[in-house]
Amino acid sequence: MKNKFGSTNIHYFLRAAILLGFSIYMLVLTATGDILQFIVPQLVIYVDIAAVVLMIVSAFQFYIAVLSLKRPVIICECGHDHEHDHDHSHHHSHGEHDENVFGHHHTHLLKKSIWKDIFIYSLFLLPLLLGFILPNQAQSSSLAGSRGMNFGGLSSQNHAKGEVVEIEGNEDPALKKMFKTNVYDKDYAKLGMVLYKQDVIEMKDKWFIEKLQSMNNFVDNFQNKEIKIKGFIYREDGLSSNQFIIARMGMTHCIADISPFGFIAEADTPDQFVNDSWVTITGKISKTTFNGQTVIKIDVEKTEPAVAPSVQYVYPDWDFGSKL
Amino acid sequence: MRNTAIKKSTPVKSNSQLLIILSLVIIGILYVLSTYDPSSIVTSPKLQMFKMMLISIIIEAMPFILIGVFVSAILQVFVTDTMIRKFIPKNPILGIIAASVLGIIFPICECGMVPAIRKLIKKGMPLYVATTFILVGPILNPIVFLSTLTAFRSQPAIAFYRMGLAFVVALIVGLIVFKFVKSNQLREQLTHLKNNIEEKHQHHHSAISSKKPVKNKLIEVMGHTVSEFFDMGKYLVFGSIIVALLQVFVSQNSLIAVGNSGPAANLVMMGLGFILSLCSTSDAFVAQSLQTIFTKSSLIGFMVFGPMINIKGILMMLAVFRSRFVLLLCGLVTILVFVGTIVLQLAF
Repeated sequence: MKNKFGSTNIHYFLRAAILLGFSIYMLVLTATGDILQFIVPQLVIYVDIAAVVLMIVSAFQFYIAVLSLKRPVIICECGHDHEHDHDHSHHHSHGEHDENVFGHHHTHLLKKSIWKDIFIYSLFLLPLLLGFILPNQAQSSSLAGSRGMNFGGLSSQNHAKGEVVEIEGNEDPALKKMFKTNVYDKDYAKLGMVLYKQDVIEMKDKWFIEKLQSMNNFVDNFQNKEIKIKGFIYREDGLSSNQFIIARMGMTHCIADISPFGFIAEADTPDQFVNDSWVTITGKISKTTFNGQTVIKIDVEKTEPAVAPSVQYVYPDWDFGSKL
Repeated sequence: MRNTAIKKSTPVKSNSQLLIILSLVIIGILYVLSTYDPSSIVTSPKLQMFKMMLISIIIEAMPFILIGVFVSAILQVFVTDTMIRKFIPKNPILGIIAASVLGIIFPICECGMVPAIRKLIKKGMPLYVATTFILVGPILNPIVFLSTLTAFRSQPAIAFYRMGLAFVVALIVGLIVFKFVKSNQLREQLTHLKNNIEEKHQHHHSAISSKKPVKNKLIEVMGHTVSEFFDMGKYLVFGSIIVALLQVFVSQNSLIAVGNSGPAANLVMMGLGFILSLCSTSDAFVAQSLQTIFTKSSLIGFMVFGPMINIKGILMMLAVFRSRFVLLLCGLVTILVFVGTIVLQLAF
């Protein structure tokens, strides 16, 4: 077995360093709270566990790397696919060493050229480098631009099918009549009743998507109600010139699946609402149609500039019905 | 076989060469940073979006790929070929069906599955069983079923159609692979060693048991974990880079503009699933956000085709199979899912 202080050791150390880099990066993201720019809160715990595991694995890799400096490295040959340039005979000397260090060479990828090495490690270093150098912020509407608008919230608007039922519980019977729905949308009906009783419906981070869905399910019940919403301004084809959209980006898993959720708003002076800017709008609810759907529209009464929240996303809460 | 491989190998490279090249790369980066105003690069919104997208995809996949490489490392160290063979039914149909329902017991997405499958194939799992599992595993599992049900609350049938179509497609592909693909489709390096695995393992165990067994096993598992991580990881990262680039530069709307009615819609949605490479647990929510524009059958196409064949997944499959076999799989799945969605369209 050839063992020099050679590329093998460099690989070990490089690998350990990259693993450590990812681990630290993920832990830093959690510590600063920036992790929520990338994934939904429910997944954070898994990423934390992964970061700790990476840390441990990295420590072992460092250990293997250090050992490989001191003594002949025995590379495990249990059917792994990266052992072409190991001396075959070292197998038979397996038992002769006091301490075996198991690691892999990965020479099947690396043997061809050193450039391939560099390419592969750069692949891993690229996200790390980008992660540490660039700020963790993306313009909401530049992301919104490449995606279709979501007015319906996350659940289907198609509630023509299915038996229409009233919600159980000791609500006002008249109210319950207003919020009749099919069995699947009961939770939205319940939320709708809660919202209906509020003087001003405030759209905050919590249940943004669910409230949007609920109101769009029962558009007629919310006519002329007051609403207050903070979001970013964004425009889409098919809106008239005095209309724009005030939206939040909703994330269900990671950035790859984000899409904007929002309301059409109408103002006399639409020009003051610049794309990408964050505003707080207070207005009255009316309705309009967009892409064949009847949706809530906000007639703007009052507006003030707002500061973009540090984490711009809203996250769906699948279990909101049981928390009402 | 092993000896030929050894002959081909180049001598161990000196690290000075590596260091020189690394330094050159660093100098290059420094040069770029000094000539161009770094702030203008940093503030480019496209680059910013790319960064956010890339890191998000990688971080999201990280826990799952770690599970995958750990399982793979444990299989490597503790499970022998004979054990694997005992568990696989002799009857091919039974084998395929068993593979289909395996996902129910191991609800894990493809990022975690591919490394484990790779190890299982190396340890003697038949190709058709592995193929079936790779295709259907990311879909036919309780987590995906629940998330689909949640996304399409008012139309639970969609979740069942999704599971059903995925099962049928994987079953047919599995049978075709069983019938027509006899030769070995693994990347070459894997196959040379198959015959030696068993013997080596025994060898190992005896070598280790006389020394400090626990410690060595642990180091062995860790060593395998790292090598698997980098082996699979490079495909994952490369795939993520492509997905992030596409997400930044190709807008969903332009794809939708290609067609949102008739058979074209089914193809468009399958294409979207391919490009987005979403985790099968979250794609149902994206699908439902598009349901005002697209037909139900095309959404099912999106949710069946996407998890089976997508950019990230193809790259990871390339780590296991020969390119031609991956191409064959892509072709088969594309045709079957397309036909399946057309049939569903008629049924709706």
